[in-house]
This record gives sequence, C-alpha cells and structure tokens, in this order.
Amino acid sequence: MSTMKINGQHLEQMLKNGLNNLLNHREEVNKLNVFPVADGDTGTNMSLTLAHGLNSAPSRVEAGPYLKYVSDGMLLGARGNSGVILSQLFKGLYVELARCGWVSPAQLRNALIRAYKTAYASVVHPVEGTILTVAREGIEHIRLQLTRQTTMEEFLSMYTAEMRKSLSFTPELLPVLKESGVIDSGAYGYVLIFEGMLDRLYGKEHKAEKTEEAAAVVGPASPSPIDLDLFNENTVFEEGYCMEFILQLMRGEDYTRRFVLREYIDDLKLFGTSLVVVQDGRRIKVHIHTFKPAKVITLSQEFGEFLTFKLENMQLQHNEVLQGAAEPAGHKELSVIAAVNGDGMEKIFRDLGCDVVINCTEALNASTQDFIRALGKVSADKIVILPNNKNVVMAADQAVRLSELKNVEVLPTKSPAEGYFALAMDIQDSHDIALRINQMRNGMKSTVTLTESAATKDYESGGISCKAGEEIVLLNGKLVAASTDWCDCIINGLKAVPDIDDVESCVIFRGDNTPDEYEAILEERLAEAFPMLEATFVYGGQSVYRFMIGISE
Amino acid sequence: MSNFAIMADATCDLTKELSEKYDIITVPGHLVFPGNKEIKAFLDWETVPRDEFYADLKKKPDEYSTSPANVEEFAEAMGKPASEGKDIILMTISAGMSGAYNFALQAKDIVEKKYGVNIKIIDTMRFGPGFGLMAIHASLQRAQGKSMEEVAAWIEENKNRFHQAGWLDDLSFVAKRGRLTHAKAFFGALAGVKPIGEFDYNGMTTVIGKAKGAKKAYAALLSYIEGTIEDPQDQIIFIAQTNRLPQAEEYKKLIEERIHPKEIYVKDVFPSCGINVGPGLMAAYYVGKPISKDLSFEKELLNKYLEAKE
Repeated sequence: MSTMKINGQHLEQMLKNGLNNLLNHREEVNKLNVFPVADGDTGTNMSLTLAHGLNSAPSRVEAGPYLKYVSDGMLLGARGNSGVILSQLFKGLYVELARCGWVSPAQLRNALIRAYKTAYASVVHPVEGTILTVAREGIEHIRLQLTRQTTMEEFLSMYTAEMRKSLSFTPELLPVLKESGVIDSGAYGYVLIFEGMLDRLYGKEHKAEKTEEAAAVVGPASPSPIDLDLFNENTVFEEGYCMEFILQLMRGEDYTRRFVLREYIDDLKLFGTSLVVVQDGRRIKVHIHTFKPAKVITLSQEFGEFLTFKLENMQLQHNEVLQGAAEPAGHKELSVIAAVNGDGMEKIFRDLGCDVVINCTEALNASTQDFIRALGKVSADKIVILPNNKNVVMAADQAVRLSELKNVEVLPTKSPAEGYFALAMDIQDSHDIALRINQMRNGMKSTVTLTESAATKDYESGGISCKAGEEIVLLNGKLVAASTDWCDCIINGLKAVPDIDDVESCVIFRGDNTPDEYEAILEERLAEAFPMLEATFVYGGQSVYRFMIGISE
Repeated sequence: MSNFAIMADATCDLTKELSEKYDIITVPGHLVFPGNKEIKAFLDWETVPRDEFYADLKKKPDEYSTSPANVEEFAEAMGKPASEGKDIILMTISAGMSGAYNFALQAKDIVEKKYGVNIKIIDTMRFGPGFGLMAIHASLQRAQGKSMEEVAAWIEENKNRFHQAGWLDDLSFVAKRGRLTHAKAFFGALAGVKPIGEFDYNGMTTVIGKAKGAKKAYAALLSYIEGTIEDPQDQIIFIAQTNRLPQAEEYKKLIEERIHPKEIYVKDVFPSCGINVGPGLMAAYYVGKPISKDLSFEKELLNKYLEAKE
C-alpha cells in the first residue's frame, strides 16, 4: 500500500485505531506512573480525552474540519495533565490543516511541527523527558528526510520509530523516571496513538480488547431513562436548559444579517452561560445554558438553519442527579467549586459551604468539562475553584479560559487536604469577598499532605526504598517512609514533617476500604508518639489512600 | 442598702457566690434533658457534673433543649422585690437569641400594676458570661449610689462596649440551633482552625477572623484585647469556657501577664447557654471601646494580628 494523501474519513478510522491501540495498552501506560502508588491515570486520561474528541466529531470528508471537531471535543473533554497536552497537540494539528480537504505527508509534517509548538506554548513550565520532548524530537529529527516520493506509510513509520527512540531516552532527561526505572507514560501513550494510526494504513485493525470497558470509555454514557416525575408544577425552575446545536449559515433573502462570530458570541452571552461557540467554515457549533431558548433560536435563525438540535431540561437532570442534595439556590456573592476524592470528603466540603463538589476517584481526575458544567451550575459575583491535584489545577484553568468568565479564580490546591484547609479558614458569613479569598489562600498555604497506601511496585527515592506491596507514606507526593506495617509507616512519615513536635492539630481522612478500628489504633499510636498533636478523624472515602493526613500551620 | 433590685435571667451564668456578692437576683428558665426530662435551669454543677454534661451533650445534642422563664415565672420572680416596694432593673439575654426579653416585658406590666413600682427591662444583647459581666457592672454602678434610672441609662449607653474575644471551635451546635449568629453557620469539623467571634451591633456573635491553631489564636487575641480594652487595671475579666478548661486556664495566665486586669475569673457556661453554644467556647469578656456598627474596625484589627507572623 502506498498512500499519498489522506482525508477526514481516513483520519477518523486511523484515530479510532489509535485510540483502540491506546486502550489496549491503557493499564500498561497507567502503571508507568513515576510514583509507586496506584494513582497512575495517564492511560485512562489520554484515552478519555481522545475518545471525547472522536465522539464529538461527526464524520467529515475534509480533513481540516474533521480535525477541528476532534480538537474541540478533546479540549472540552481533556482530563489530567497528559490529556490537556494531548488536546493542545491536536489543536496544533487542526490549525495547520484547517483548510486541507486532503492531507499530504508534507502537510502532515508541518502540522506535527505546529502541534508540538502549540503544546509547548500551552504549558507554563515545559518539562523535558515527557510527551512534549517525544512529539518535538519525533518530527524534528525526520523533517529533512521527507521527499516528494515519501508515502504516508513511510512518513508515519519514520515518525513513530523516531518517537520510540526519543521515548527510550526520556529517563535520561527526567531523573524521576530514571529513579523509578520507567519511561514517560504520557509520551508512551502518544506514541501508541500514532502507531495505531499507522497500523490502520497497513490494514491492521485494533479492536478494543475489553469490549465492555472500552465501550464505557468510548461511547457516550448511555442515558438512563429520566424520571419525569422529578419535575412538576411546583418545581422551582432555576437550572434552565442545556442547548446544543450546529447552525448552518445560509444564503438568501431570509438571512439578512451578516455573520460575525465575535458579535454572535456577544449576543449569545446575553442569553446564557457556559457558552462554547466553535466555527467551522459555514457551520457553527454552539453549547449554551439558557433560560430563554427561544431567544437563542430567533437570533440564530437570522443567520441560518439548524443541522442538529438538542434541548434538555437541566432542572430535571439536576434533580435526578442530586436527588435532594443541597445545591446553591439563587445568586451568591461567592461560590466555591471543589474537586475531591471520595463521598466522605464530598459531604465534609458541602458542610463547609462548598456549592458544587466534583467527586472523582484518584484514578479519574476531574475534567475540563466537569468544571465547565460546575461553573454553569453556580451564579455568583465571584467563583473560587479548589482542585485536588496539580493536574486538576490545569483542567480547572483550562475550563476558566474556555468559559471566558472573568470572575473565576482557581486556587491551586494540590490535594483535598489543601482544599479542606482553604474551606476551614473561609469566613462563610462575611460579605468581604477579598477577605474570604485571602482566608482560603491562607488555609491552603503551608499545608502538607501525607498519604498512606501500598506500593504498587519496587521503588527508590531519596535514599528510601520500598518493595511492591509494602506500606508507604508520601509527603506532598514524595516518598518519606516505607514499612511492612501501615501504622509504623504513618508514624515514621509524620516524623518527616518539619517541626512536627510543635504541630498542634491535623485532619485525618479515612479511606473507603479502611476498617473502622484502624482509627482507634492510629489514634493511640499518635497520642504516644506526638502527645501535643490533636487529630481530627473524619471519613473521607478515598479509594487508594488508607489514610490521608492534612497538617496546616 | 439599695432601693432597687437588679435581676437577670439565668443565662447570665452567675453562680450563687457571685450573685450574692453583687446582690443580683437570677430568674431560672427551663431545660429539657434526655428522656424529655424537664428541669429548672441551674447555676451550679451539684446535680449534673460539668464534664458529664458536656460529654453527653456532644453525644446527644438533639435530646437537649432550653426555654426561658415564662411570663408568669418572670412576674412571680419580680413580685418578691416589688412586694417590698423596690423598683427593678431586669436584664435579659439578647432578644435575638431568646424570647426572654418579650416575656419579661409582659411580666413588667403585670407587676407594675399590682405593686405600683417602676421596672426597667433591658435587652443586654449579650449571653452567658458577657451578660453576667454586664449585670455585675450594673451592680457596681448601683453601689456608687446611682439611681435606678441612672444605672439603666448607663447600661443602655455602655452595653455596646462589652466585648467577646475568643473562639468557638465547634460550630455544629450554633449551626444546628440557629442561635447566637445571624448567618448560617457551617457544620464541618475544623481540625485545629479557631473561628474567632465578637458580639456585633445587633447582639449576635459574628466570626471576625480565623486562626490556624491555638497558639496563633492566643497571640492574636491578646493583641486584640489590648487594642480594644479600656482601663484594664480597673477591670474584671471573665473567661468563659465550655469543655475547654485547660485552654481557658492558659488564656487566663496569658491575659494576666500581658493585660494586668484587676480581677480575672475562668467561668463556666451552665446549661441554659451551654446547650445552645455546645462544647468549644473559650472566650474573654471585658469592657472596651464601643463596637463598630459593621465590625469593620474589629475585623481589621484582628486580621492585622492574625497575619502578623508569630
């Protein structure tokens, strides 16, 4: 086979094959995590991100428009750091290929260069030895080898082979990889996608092995039948409608107004929130939360007609999802959105006045879309977001950018414990918003987080080593204690906290599978080892960490 | 020999010893204890030991409740000094927190008619030891030979100068009962974070700052007292505590060293208030600068000290 050019349909098949290849290696990618605990989620995050992109892209013959849908979808569905970077790589691809119906190897080369440049630019502190390096070296090392005769198969073979080489060097660039004896997981995931794409050109199809699970990831969540009784004449309608449509801009006398994207967006902003508008030539994709769908329809019909149209009563969905759980009512001065890792934490955060709590497991980070949805649920002069790890900080930042809201502040809380202290220090009944945000910042500041769990593999760091299955404690993500006994391990881990003997208090989140009696055991040992330390035990419900301890001084 | 009586409802938390010393008559309200047992409010721990009470309250918060003396009981209590021909000042807990003030107002009409005496009912806009301290000041004014009208005017003029400087580290009771504060209080455990409360202009308490840990809280509170108190050398300071005795003793020591008040006592909060406050209160009460209308001065002052490094 020798393919000289590919179009949107080819790309669709190739990308699906790439996704399946990634899915089949997902666990392997997850396990490459640089830390020896099972919060490895790179493979899951990348596949969810790509799947979101593919699911939201209608089939198109032209390559450029197709990639735009994929890229927009990935941007919205991006999960985790690796997902965000992957979405940026695809954004670069589509920007370069926007006007291409058919793509030649030379055009793809230019697009791949644009891709890595876009990705680098999107990361505040680019780190070498990651997906960025592999995407850059993969194309930079072969760009001059391309001739007019080079086929798409040859080109992608060179690209993937070069990336494999670059991948094997990632431990040399990133010490933390070398210490753990692994290659970079995000970079590996990226290579797998392109290898799957190349395989499709050679006619080798990858079927997602775990069909059930793969379907759950690839397919949109199958809508469960909605209980219409949750909405009746007494319901307070305060959620509005979720509208999604694709508008075809039309010629002809009926469509008098000249379409200017910026003006259209400004007009739509008057009617609703959570607005996302993407233009693809003469087609406009719109997502908006509104109380006045008729206004949106009337406005849009000044320019064209609807190709697809979806309208959902969000109150109904909202009532169903929450089933009576406390949600903010009406406009507030300050709303807080937080991400947590367990049902117990969710409750605690709500009790502390958090308006929307996104509960996710350690292995599945909150996505950009989750935050956009959450932003659509609150109405406030000022909104504060409290993420629960550093990748989620990126997703939250991304959501704020996409939402174009100017009144949102992401406090970069890197663990649920930091978020907890931010809320504990908040003065919820104060009308002084600046003071409240400052209080939250103080709460987050100088908080340390210890986590206790079992190591998933042998590991060595900073002179401490552990075997797979052994108990380990991480202090702000760094290994500080390893032992065969979980309780010894926590005591030793706490000793690594600076000035621990002067620490007055801490909060301890108990995990989902941690037996109740462990609390009493730990309490007794703590009283013995740190008599001045007052521990507040709460049920957190997190799945990976047996205990998570937050100390804030 | 005073020609008028000073009375206070039992939420003033004045023990028998203090109420005798300052000649203040207390009017007990009602308490409901577990098992729907209704008992008369008490101001000693003779029948129910303090630690036992607070431990049980923490376990079964929903089985405890309080209600003030009713109109008849207020009338009956006032009837005694009135029958001796004495005028009366009766002070009540903040009207925002309890119905005592309104009940007492109705009782006043009955007693005035019956005995032909003059009665002043005063909403202290305080509770517990802050209220008790105000009653003692009223008594001290009376001892200076002031008339009932003069003493009542003094209280009305000065009640806004009675401060609270301390923390309530378990807000779940305040949240559940909806007393004490205007705003919704939040339930969540606070793991060492100390919300610092002051009386506001309307006689409720408001959180004006938060400190991470007791050490930082003490440091900021001492500076706060220093910045708001007037003539400490002439003052009696009360420290109230609900199940926070060691912290209160520590606070007392620190205040003595730094503020040098004339007298300072660690005082209990008895069930009439304790049931609504819950465990976790540790605060000093004293007379100082008038409290600003929106607490802006107090907030700014406290937060200046909270942000200062140790």
